[in-house]
Amino acid sequence: MLTDSRQPIIRFDHASFGFPGVIALKDISLSIYAGEFVGVIGPNGSGKTTLCRAVLGLMAPMEGHLHIFDCACEQLRCHHRAKIGYLPQKGVVDRNFPVTVLETVMMGRYGALGLFRRPGAKDREIAMDALTHVAMDRHKDTALGSLSGGQQQRVFIARALAQQPKVLLLDEPTTGLDITMQHNVIELVQHLHDELKLTVLLITHDINMIRSRVDRLVLLKTWLYAAGPPSDVLKPDILSQVYGKDLVISGKDVVIVEDYHHPH
Amino acid sequence: MLELFTYDFMQRSLMAAAMVGSLCSVIGVFVVLRGLAFVGAGTSHAAFAGVTLGYLIGWPPLALAILFGLSTVWISGWVEEKGRMKLDVSIGILYTATMALAILFIGLMKTYNAEVYGYLFGSVLSVTGEELRIIGGLAILVLGLIVAFSKELYFIAFDQEMAEASGIPARRIFFLLLTLVALTVVVALKTVGAILVFAMILIPASTAYQLTHSLRTLTLYSVIIGASTSLGGVILSAAWDVPSGPAIVLLATAVFFISLLASPKGFKAGPGHTH
Repeated sequence: MLTDSRQPIIRFDHASFGFPGVIALKDISLSIYAGEFVGVIGPNGSGKTTLCRAVLGLMAPMEGHLHIFDCACEQLRCHHRAKIGYLPQKGVVDRNFPVTVLETVMMGRYGALGLFRRPGAKDREIAMDALTHVAMDRHKDTALGSLSGGQQQRVFIARALAQQPKVLLLDEPTTGLDITMQHNVIELVQHLHDELKLTVLLITHDINMIRSRVDRLVLLKTWLYAAGPPSDVLKPDILSQVYGKDLVISGKDVVIVEDYHHPH
Repeated sequence: MLELFTYDFMQRSLMAAAMVGSLCSVIGVFVVLRGLAFVGAGTSHAAFAGVTLGYLIGWPPLALAILFGLSTVWISGWVEEKGRMKLDVSIGILYTATMALAILFIGLMKTYNAEVYGYLFGSVLSVTGEELRIIGGLAILVLGLIVAFSKELYFIAFDQEMAEASGIPARRIFFLLLTLVALTVVVALKTVGAILVFAMILIPASTAYQLTHSLRTLTLYSVIIGASTSLGGVILSAAWDVPSGPAIVLLATAVFFISLLASPKGFKAGPGHTH
């Protein structure tokens, strides 16, 4: 068994999550290390979003432990949550909400500020820096709702960056975007990972989009089926067990047969 | 016409209308953005049940209105938090139950009490000095709490789960918002009445929603619209000798429809919520 001398910043230790009568994730043991780019994949209902909610501190383990920044975050009020920048799934947020781009990004500062403290010039500067990182600074006074889906994702990534996070947690960031926008968003995440040395935990259905970019893939289906470099995880026998379908793996692409159409 | 403003009752009425209009329009911003329209409607009827009980047993009506209003929103919020049912459903049940209680309490009264109907339909022109002080005190309390927690209130209105994930005590802030809605309803009860109070919360914020894309200006516009339509409604009420509550609400409604036509958003974007 491989051992790693680095200190994990997120560590699941035989942790199970769910609701009374429903187990969403069972007996997960997994460590995420500083500076890693980790992709989390699995079919619908495999526990990907539960993993995301657990890391955010929105769910406590029913069994086992979850340590974040070497802190047992079973206590959901843990202050370490402010160090995790989060991009929720598209559709969770009301995109017609009357808010400007800068106002949206400033919300990323609120958790770090705490109660009763008002955002000041320094917070505005941090928010503008975050907007510059995602190339949306010239849109700061634009209504969020008037932006394209890809631009809105950039703004939400900037909001996460405004938290000055150690970890960037993205829950299916490319869902609902066209192919060009999907690539733009993933390239931006890669760029932020490289430039800001952020640990990135990216939850996605799109294996092909991330397989060449991530350091490790985590494959879930209630249990942790596999975790390791993409070449170790993306094997027909492993994927078939999880997806329950035949696979076509050719060159750079993984195709689940149900979605695959042979070229005529 | 100007002579009207020299009367004490008119001065008290205008002060009450300005306070209530401003307060309702500020809390209304969060009600509209967070999608709590039905909570306000349910709370106002629960508060009215408290008023009727107060008159029946000889206790302070406003104190019991606060008790009934807060109980309704807290029970509904607690039931939703436990995952038993959605907030709208539990509010709907308590809304009708407390209205039934109000009718029962009125039925148990031996004599006709015009003051009770003043709380149902509103009578800002008959606001007393003592009531004005109570309204003022509650308005300062509610506005103070809104100012103190404004960034958290905006954040949970935008995305409660994101706020929670960022380390903000989102559930507690949500209960604070429900509490502030209940207190605002009680403050406004005497002015526009239990039936119309919710219009004062909903309409100015919805009108402002049509006119801006910014959170900051949304609140500013809502206050301007709420205060000015309240003052205008009182003046029209006194000048034309018509009931004050309907005068305020119908004026606000007229401004809302004008804002729809003038809206830079057109008819595409309305207060929506995807949670």
